[in-house]
Amino acid sequence: MLAYSLPSDISPSTFVNTASLVRIVALGLISAAAISSRLFAVVNFESIIHEFDPWFNYRATRVLASKGFYEFWNWFDPTAWYPLGRVVGGTIYPGLMATSGVIYNILHALNLPVDIRNICVLLAPGFSAFTAWATYMFTKEMKDESAGLLAAAFIGIVPGYISRSVAGSYDNEAIAIFLLMFTFYAWIKALKTGSALFGTIAALFYFYMVAAWGGYAFITNMIPLHAFVLLLMGRYTNRLYVAYCSWYAIGTLSSMQVPFVGFQPVRTSEHMAALGIFGLLQIVAFAQLIRSHVTSKQFQDLLFVSVISAAVLGMAAMVLLTYKGWIAPWTGRFYSLWDTGYAKKYIPIIASVSEHQPTAWPSFFMDLHMLTFLFPFGVLVLFRTLRDEHVFVIIYAVMGTYFAGVMVRLMLTLTPCVCVASAVGLSQLIDTFMDPREPDVGEEEEKEDGSSTTATPSKKAAKKEKNAAPVTGVGAIDDIVSTLSIAGGLEKDKSAKAKTGIFGLDTRMVVLFNTAAMLLFFVLHCTWVTSNAYSSPSVVLASSNPDGSQHIIDDFREAYYWLRMNTKEDAVVMSWWDYGYQIAGMADRVTLVDNNTWNNTHIATVGKAMSSPEEVAYPILRKHDVDYVLVIFGGLIGYSGDDINKFLWMVRIAQGVWPDEIQEPNYFTQQGEYRVDDQASKAMKDSLMYKMSYYRFAELFGGGQVVDRVRQQYLPKQGPTLDYLDEAFTSENWIVRIFQVKKEDLLGRDLKSANGFAQGKKRKRSKPPVKRRVLA
Amino acid sequence: MFRIWRVLLLILSLAILSYARSSTGNSLLVVLDPSLSKDNYSIFFKGLEEQGYELTFRAPKDVTPAIIQDGIASFAHVILFTPETKTYAKDIVPQALVDLLSKNTNVIFALGSKQTPLTSLASEFSLILPPPGTPLISHFPERDTPATVVPIPVSFPSPALTSGLSPVWYSGIPFALGNNPLLVPFLNAPSESFAADTTEDSGADAIVDAAERGGEGLWAGKDMSVVTGFQTIDGGRALFVGGIELFSDEFAKKEVTKGVKSGNAQFARDVAAWTFQESLVLRVDGSTHHKVNETQPGDKYTTNDHVVYSTHISKYNPTTCTWEPFSGLTDMQLEFTMLDPHIRTSLPPVQGKPGEYSVTFRIPDRHGVFKFVVDYKRKGWTHLHSSTTVPVVPPRHDEYPRFLSAAWPYYVGAISTSAGFVIFSVLWLAGDDRGSRRRKGAKAE
Amino acid sequence: MAGPKASTAASKPASSAVDPNAIHSLWKAYNDTTPSRLKLIDSFLVFLMLSGIAQFLYCILITNFPFNAFLAGFGSCVGQFVLTASLRTQVNPENRGEFKDVSPERAFADFALGSIVLHFFVFNFLG
Repeated sequence: MLAYSLPSDISPSTFVNTASLVRIVALGLISAAAISSRLFAVVNFESIIHEFDPWFNYRATRVLASKGFYEFWNWFDPTAWYPLGRVVGGTIYPGLMATSGVIYNILHALNLPVDIRNICVLLAPGFSAFTAWATYMFTKEMKDESAGLLAAAFIGIVPGYISRSVAGSYDNEAIAIFLLMFTFYAWIKALKTGSALFGTIAALFYFYMVAAWGGYAFITNMIPLHAFVLLLMGRYTNRLYVAYCSWYAIGTLSSMQVPFVGFQPVRTSEHMAALGIFGLLQIVAFAQLIRSHVTSKQFQDLLFVSVISAAVLGMAAMVLLTYKGWIAPWTGRFYSLWDTGYAKKYIPIIASVSEHQPTAWPSFFMDLHMLTFLFPFGVLVLFRTLRDEHVFVIIYAVMGTYFAGVMVRLMLTLTPCVCVASAVGLSQLIDTFMDPREPDVGEEEEKEDGSSTTATPSKKAAKKEKNAAPVTGVGAIDDIVSTLSIAGGLEKDKSAKAKTGIFGLDTRMVVLFNTAAMLLFFVLHCTWVTSNAYSSPSVVLASSNPDGSQHIIDDFREAYYWLRMNTKEDAVVMSWWDYGYQIAGMADRVTLVDNNTWNNTHIATVGKAMSSPEEVAYPILRKHDVDYVLVIFGGLIGYSGDDINKFLWMVRIAQGVWPDEIQEPNYFTQQGEYRVDDQASKAMKDSLMYKMSYYRFAELFGGGQVVDRVRQQYLPKQGPTLDYLDEAFTSENWIVRIFQVKKEDLLGRDLKSANGFAQGKKRKRSKPPVKRRVLA
Repeated sequence: MFRIWRVLLLILSLAILSYARSSTGNSLLVVLDPSLSKDNYSIFFKGLEEQGYELTFRAPKDVTPAIIQDGIASFAHVILFTPETKTYAKDIVPQALVDLLSKNTNVIFALGSKQTPLTSLASEFSLILPPPGTPLISHFPERDTPATVVPIPVSFPSPALTSGLSPVWYSGIPFALGNNPLLVPFLNAPSESFAADTTEDSGADAIVDAAERGGEGLWAGKDMSVVTGFQTIDGGRALFVGGIELFSDEFAKKEVTKGVKSGNAQFARDVAAWTFQESLVLRVDGSTHHKVNETQPGDKYTTNDHVVYSTHISKYNPTTCTWEPFSGLTDMQLEFTMLDPHIRTSLPPVQGKPGEYSVTFRIPDRHGVFKFVVDYKRKGWTHLHSSTTVPVVPPRHDEYPRFLSAAWPYYVGAISTSAGFVIFSVLWLAGDDRGSRRRKGAKAE
Repeated sequence: MAGPKASTAASKPASSAVDPNAIHSLWKAYNDTTPSRLKLIDSFLVFLMLSGIAQFLYCILITNFPFNAFLAGFGSCVGQFVLTASLRTQVNPENRGEFKDVSPERAFADFALGSIVLHFFVFNFLG
């Protein structure tokens, strides 16, 4: 009994060929959509490296491209973390740079002289296409091709992933998500077939992932967790043994080749779960082997007991080793995942990063849109069949959701899982409602002709959709999905009569139309979010004029260019660590601290200099040979990400190292408010950061009310004075201010009195030092 | 014969000397207060002229020549013989005088007992002057001059002064010195002297008066200085003299004791020579560093490298007006610094190579951006400072020791595993045919 | 890594103390039911196990100084062991049902590829 007629004169081979052709075309369109939606950044702004970390990656890649891999491997960067320097080769994940380097060399071997910057800018969009493909493969293993195509389309345009992979966002995540998905795919494949080949492939991609992103620990723990859950569910198979062992043995050994990882896989607690499961699997496999040869019940019991005790002994040994210090305990970053207040208390440097903050709920909707509620449905669908690989996605969903709730940044790892689960759910929905069969209850009063005529418009509508939104590819998928489900209906159980199902065409139309509409809204949302929220390079800011036209605020590059052109080549620039990579990348000057926050003490030193009065800060600056101090000040145009708003973190980090000298409460008013106006506390007003930010700010207002537009506070008309620093440069909108550190006074005076003298202030008469007392 | 030679030599040397004797230039501006006569200081000025300085005189209120023209110092040296002057032309303000020093112009300040701009300027140089109108007084030794004219023995051993100088006649104010390391005292007041009001001299009461006026301090004793040099951190030199009479012809000719001429002329010449950067002037000609057994300086070093650091130092010789290699420093040190000195070692002169100082040391096992720092500061001498930045990097990946003897069991283990794998594969493939045939057979059965 | 293995090895004598017949019957059953090809694999496994134990003991008792060399050597033993064990389960006729997609020839190819990759990393890590 069919709700609508199907063409019956198509041969199966034609059908299969057409289906695969449509799949390929759809994947191609999805890739095109994924790439082109990430080009908003280039279209709206220009081909430029974004944000902070990418600047370092870009700089490193340039070194790699110009000097070769071995020089890069041994690169010691004396201009970062002055004067400590940074052993770059041993403290980075080189996968990203190596990838660009390889692409660069291949292109040049083909006589295509592409600039390395363009490769870096376009790497992330390019890899997003691969990610879509890997997600397709992965989801195909979960359900079928149609779900795979849906998942690929989702991951291609979902904002949660675009946020980290727009053109110019040249960061580790750009390639890591592809590697993550492909490793998972290979793992699932290995588990399903029990093939060591796929285990090896998983291990190789795991190695690539380790070389590319610190988030590899997610894989390191996800796969063992999956294996462990399967064990607990009594689903141990030899396939599991083969897949896990081949992955772990090769993957672990290869991961230790990356210098930054080193011996961590056998030394730190983060990796112990994988090792433990590896050992457990050996025991279980051994027990299985023995059991297959022995029948004695008593012996089997004994074996069981000894296996359990061995597992317990292994655990105890691990705890002992941790206690003895042989295995490093969990790191602070790990704790901060479980106790969200932990980082703020003990490691302010981690908590100070905005992307380490807990996620606010609107950002879930912003990043995932309708997938937010499709996702639980998809997980539910997975529970219905619950094969081994479904368990994996369910675990992934649980872990991913938790982590995404803890840290904004980890939204990225959740996104692929959401796409997969949603695609499975949605494809299930469409399958059900596309299925032309009707439940076998009573008589059907379907008008055959009527159904065929209505089916054609629906297809036409789908085609129209395809034409309307060819970039997104979602329309195309609808089309394919319908084709496939018809095929499924035709092939599978033409004979079998369904007990449950959908009556009538109208119900189907209502649901399908709604689904299509939702997909359309999803596409619109994704496009809107991508172009408006996630394509800003943050190096260049955009604001709109009153007439609606766009106004580009280019203070950062202006200031960095000033530094590059007007200062000595080995001049040392001190700034808060956020701007370290940019100064190194754009101004090519020596920095004290940068975004690779490996040395807390050094950062705290900068924090202390910024939060201390001038005369305390000056010796610190001199000791570190600082020539210029750079601050970001948004008070004039209302740029809220400025240093005064980050100031409390500087204070906190400095307090962590010098609790006697810097105390956070001193920077608040009596009422406990954070103020910069005339009620600001003395410590606040004396601090170098405050003085630098508001130095001569009041003059701008010509005696009128002095307003800080970020904090909406009125400043005193008499601004702060600087004795130990000279203003060297202030950018157009005052966002970047650069101050030059004065030399020591010629006459050995402190600079404050020297400054007083230069301004003609009378010095108090002094008395000769007391050498002996007068006998009265 | 011998005489003619001498005369010739003298003429010759004068010809050279008249070219320049100072290491920084020979133009000299003397700002002379109109109340003072140039002739009273003719010995001093003549001496300078004979040494080759080109003297220009100007009154404090004259507009030209300006001391700083368009931001450039017009003269290499300036003498301010204006102890009592209260008003100057616009260009001479305390700030401008400090500015002069920063432009490597050397200045001699003559202070007086009245309150003038110079007295307030002196406090910027960490000199603490007594209240106005309180000159130095000493009743010892017994002599026929007033109590304010004091013979001061040159007991303070400074390398800038000729040794064995006779006592110096002095009349003027003393001043206390702050604890500024840049001060170079040349002449201190005698122990039994003090600063007091002279109008109603004498008696022990004067000391008590002075003590009361000075508050808790006491303007007395040998800690007071009367002639003090000051070397700025850039190397500019200034001289403060408490009384201008020190330079006068009268004091130069006056006998200290019967038949012994005073040391004033020679002392004035010595301190002027120091101030005008003739004596005790050093410079670092250059410094190099390289690995042992290499000659080219490395642009970076590896931890635990052995490196040679050498520096070349010259001293200015005013008689020949040339820079000569100087090996006389025995207490120079080299620091290898990253934030703090990681290595501090003496930098001795090299035998047989004049002016060369060299040391070999092992770079510490710590990577980072290091500096070779030579920082030689001795009172009176030019401060020597040389800093060379060099990155110290960890060994390259192929510079670590490889194939250690302790690890041979592991090598054997790894190689045996590989060998085992190969043998196993061969055996397996060799047995494959039979196996598959047997299996086929089994299936057939 | 060797912890569980060592303890399983220890579990054998413990059980033999309880029931000497059981170990005998186990051995007998093994001899009777195992094809000769699997015995070849097993002998290789025993060799790898002994090599691994020897290296582990050397590391613990004498020195672990070139820790990378130890990890490489020991890792090669363990890795080869599990790969071989995987091969064993794959070619074991009893497990045919579980490995539908993997024929014995395919299994050996997988094994060889995995081993070559493993040895590549081992030798890279050794020095």
